[in-house]
Amino acid sequence: MEDLSHEKVGAEDVGERGFPSGPANRSRAAFLLSAALGSGAVLTGLASAAQEAEFEPHEIDVLNFDLTFEYLQAGFYDEALRFGALGGEATRWASVIGAHEHAHVDILRTVLGPRAVKKPFFDYRGVTENEDAFTKTAVAMEDLTTALLTGQVHDFRTPALVSALFSLITVEARHAAWVRNVVGVLPIAAPLDEPKSLKEVAEVIGSTRFMKENPITWAKTAPRFTG
Amino acid sequence: MRHRSASSARATNQAASVTRAEFLGKVLAGGGVLLVGGLPILSRGPRSAGAVQSPRMDKEILNFALLLEYLEDAFYRDALENGALSGQLLRFAEEVGRHEAAHVELLRDALGSDARARPTFDFGNATADPQEFSSSAVIIEETGTAAYIGQGANLSSAMAVTAGRIASVEARHTAWIRDIAGREPAPHAADPSMTKREVTAAIRRTGFLT
Repeated sequence: MEDLSHEKVGAEDVGERGFPSGPANRSRAAFLLSAALGSGAVLTGLASAAQEAEFEPHEIDVLNFDLTFEYLQAGFYDEALRFGALGGEATRWASVIGAHEHAHVDILRTVLGPRAVKKPFFDYRGVTENEDAFTKTAVAMEDLTTALLTGQVHDFRTPALVSALFSLITVEARHAAWVRNVVGVLPIAAPLDEPKSLKEVAEVIGSTRFMKENPITWAKTAPRFTG
Repeated sequence: MRHRSASSARATNQAASVTRAEFLGKVLAGGGVLLVGGLPILSRGPRSAGAVQSPRMDKEILNFALLLEYLEDAFYRDALENGALSGQLLRFAEEVGRHEAAHVELLRDALGSDARARPTFDFGNATADPQEFSSSAVIIEETGTAAYIGQGANLSSAMAVTAGRIASVEARHTAWIRDIAGREPAPHAADPSMTKREVTAAIRRTGFLT
């Protein structure tokens, strides 16, 4: 992935991984982001909509929930790689998938701008320190993200958001299939993926106890959820 | 004899990895984004997004999706009938073939009497030779996935939900066959879309539609 260093985008207000995040930089950031990700129309459309502040409050809430989950995933892969308990093959797929989750964090932060929630503190409770536990949890997380995102298609009214959502659903689904294949489990369980509500996903995240804050409580304090 | 192999990279050009230089070149040469005074004047978004949703448009899109599902269903059926596959590829074709058959049924049910008829296909060597099967499957699944991404925002909300649930499964298929074929299962952080025209052209290039 292209290095978006301070020198290239200006020293002002850089966020996670050196990505420009101040409001003044959002449109430029969006352009650079779509260029780096190489997926053209889907993300430029999204960036355009974000610029024009077309999102409804409910869409913002859902996007922020997604951002929290992406933070959780990105951190999970980061920590496992840092800890170094993974073999060569696991290191490879964890690096690729982890980079994607970071890119998803960047996308959501770009789209949400100043409305983006802060990264919470996570405690992965030793799961990242053992390849077997890590791999099984990765499968569960990728399946869960797929369920979360497929469950949100009706939440978004803005066409650019629906398009972007589809292009992220398919990536998370690829991740899930990939890691399932690694573990030796069937990559796909059924002809249609089963969606989950935000509430259901919050409950699953809560049960991991990776988040210091209870995600169910967190989800309920945000204004409107489809539950 | 006409070469039916769909191993040409062109059909998956959209879906394959694109370097930043290539992408910028495409975009600045008159694609969707212009830079004016250092700020991007962005395109209005995906060409297909923002199209007015309607039951008529739903039918059109679902019939388009049905064509792709017919193709996939027939492709796997043919390969299995030919007894061409073994091991992982066989497992893949059996499982995925079941899903594509289910997708055909689902779309035909949704469309009722408006469902298009099943076309005839000729897969030639692509369903007889494991290597050609493999590369053809990658192209077909990638195209299907990109097609759903391209149309998602054009569907009414209820149909879009179903389309999303199918798209994720097509993406799983794609990652699986890519993994079997020794290719990167998830080449992008965000998957590209294909317009109806691009998908049609890609299908035509395979030569499978008679």
